[in-house]
Amino acid sequence: MKTQQELMSVSRAAELINAGKYLSIAGDEAALRQLPQGHWIGGTIPYFMAAEGGTVSREQVFVSEVSGFAVPPQLRFYDSATLPQICRNAPDNGYSILIIPAFSATHASFAQNAPNFEEMYMKPLIGWIAGIHLDDLGKTTPKVVLGSTGEFSESDAVVMDVPLPPEKFAQIDIVNLFHPGTGAGIRFQNNGFSAGDCLIGGQVGNLADYLLDKQIDTRLPLVADYSGAMINVSIKSIDREARRVEFYAPVFPGPEYRFAAPVTDYVTAFQAALPRSGLDISFSCNCILNFLNSQLEGKRTGEVTGPMTFGEIGYQLLNQTLVYLTVTE
Amino acid sequence: MKLEELLHHTLAIHAPWHIARVRNDLGKNQIDIWVSREAQRSGWFFTARSTPEQGRESVWRHINIGNARCIVHAVIPGEADSADLQWLGETDQPFTRAFARQIAGMFMQGVSFASVCALLDLPVADLWKFKHRLDNGKSGLSGPGSASDSISARIPAPNDPIWEELLSGNLQLDIRILSLKLLLTKLREQFAIISDGEVRTLKAHELQRYFTRHEKMLGHELAQLAQN
Repeated sequence: MKTQQELMSVSRAAELINAGKYLSIAGDEAALRQLPQGHWIGGTIPYFMAAEGGTVSREQVFVSEVSGFAVPPQLRFYDSATLPQICRNAPDNGYSILIIPAFSATHASFAQNAPNFEEMYMKPLIGWIAGIHLDDLGKTTPKVVLGSTGEFSESDAVVMDVPLPPEKFAQIDIVNLFHPGTGAGIRFQNNGFSAGDCLIGGQVGNLADYLLDKQIDTRLPLVADYSGAMINVSIKSIDREARRVEFYAPVFPGPEYRFAAPVTDYVTAFQAALPRSGLDISFSCNCILNFLNSQLEGKRTGEVTGPMTFGEIGYQLLNQTLVYLTVTE
Repeated sequence: MKLEELLHHTLAIHAPWHIARVRNDLGKNQIDIWVSREAQRSGWFFTARSTPEQGRESVWRHINIGNARCIVHAVIPGEADSADLQWLGETDQPFTRAFARQIAGMFMQGVSFASVCALLDLPVADLWKFKHRLDNGKSGLSGPGSASDSISARIPAPNDPIWEELLSGNLQLDIRILSLKLLLTKLREQFAIISDGEVRTLKAHELQRYFTRHEKMLGHELAQLAQN
């Protein structure tokens, strides 16, 4: 049986909640506030990849049903002090869905410290960063919801821990269309959401100067090779005066980064890179930057649907990446 | 949480079992507890009425309470009642099941015999007795721990040099699993700057533990390890 993942009306989502289903829900804050209490977690975002194609909607919500669990999933909030325990607290066999409000201290802390959380990479952790409609920037804040109490939070993360029976196992994978380009290798001395001075091609340089001198398209992320996984760090802005570059995820001192090679046709490239057809994807999300930069509104990206988010979580924070979860026997 | 509940929780003693009596004057840094089946709660700390078990009282070393040894006194109940009790030990064994698992876990993580004794304040003779029975198949470690952490014939032992080869980058694998790609990248970065031999060994054990937990989905990677 295929996992139910679809964009739907608030009333239909409410029916599923009232039927006792365990759900992960994405939607605009006003839509989420209309939902009844129940076994669900949620986050704010009005951008979606629906079965019909890229969609912006403040009225509908995207619902992913959680099923096939061994015992009922656990739902709870984590603040930035308790979040490092998330993997330790996760079920021995199962997975966790994590939603964090963008721009919160929890978001910053997770981005910088997740790789060193106890039991990180030992238990599947997937999720996304809640956001807002871009027209609402400065007017409202991203939030997450603990459906069991109906409580909204702009500071804490919300988690659903899903224990699986012994014969099943969860696996997280990513689709990233970006690969390192042919430019200089870049290394950073410290981790952080911004950088100025760094090593460029082995020489001391400044990243802001480099971007401007080379006229690099800032829609292209920095890409690092993590033992075969291409991990992006997207460019948020360049501060010419301060000679610093702001990122949507932190850079780290270990890996060597390069600016990505251009992707000429995102939709075609994406469809070619998608997992095989018929795969039962239990949960997935993609990046709002892919939605915007590749003008995906109204365009389909194969069978993979989900919210288009302010950051993706595939164990750690990712940018401009599709993340998906499968459960296999 | 009340103090009484905290102690029961810490020592994995759950209803209908309860701590009927506690003494701290029978040995240096030692707390002795008597566990029995609870008949009726009175609401007073450690004063619930107990139903005496029939039979000879046994004594086992249980998981430490802070820096103090914890000694459990109890009569072994019927087999059907005792299968999952972690505060209970086997007949003629020095340790409760929970303590036995803790010790075995330390061995599996590569902690030396002498270090286990020192860290847990454990007499060498007791540990020898326990290990001898384990090695001869007379005792097991079955319990509620993670089955996925059990030892597999397909996965090299934690002290196999192949793990340090992987961590140093001398051995490269074609990896299909995202979590292994991310974990190996992190461990390689750490391994490159660690000079202490014991810490490097711990990193090798961490990687081996990942393979043990995820054996089901690592067929492609394990096939490559088998060729080395």
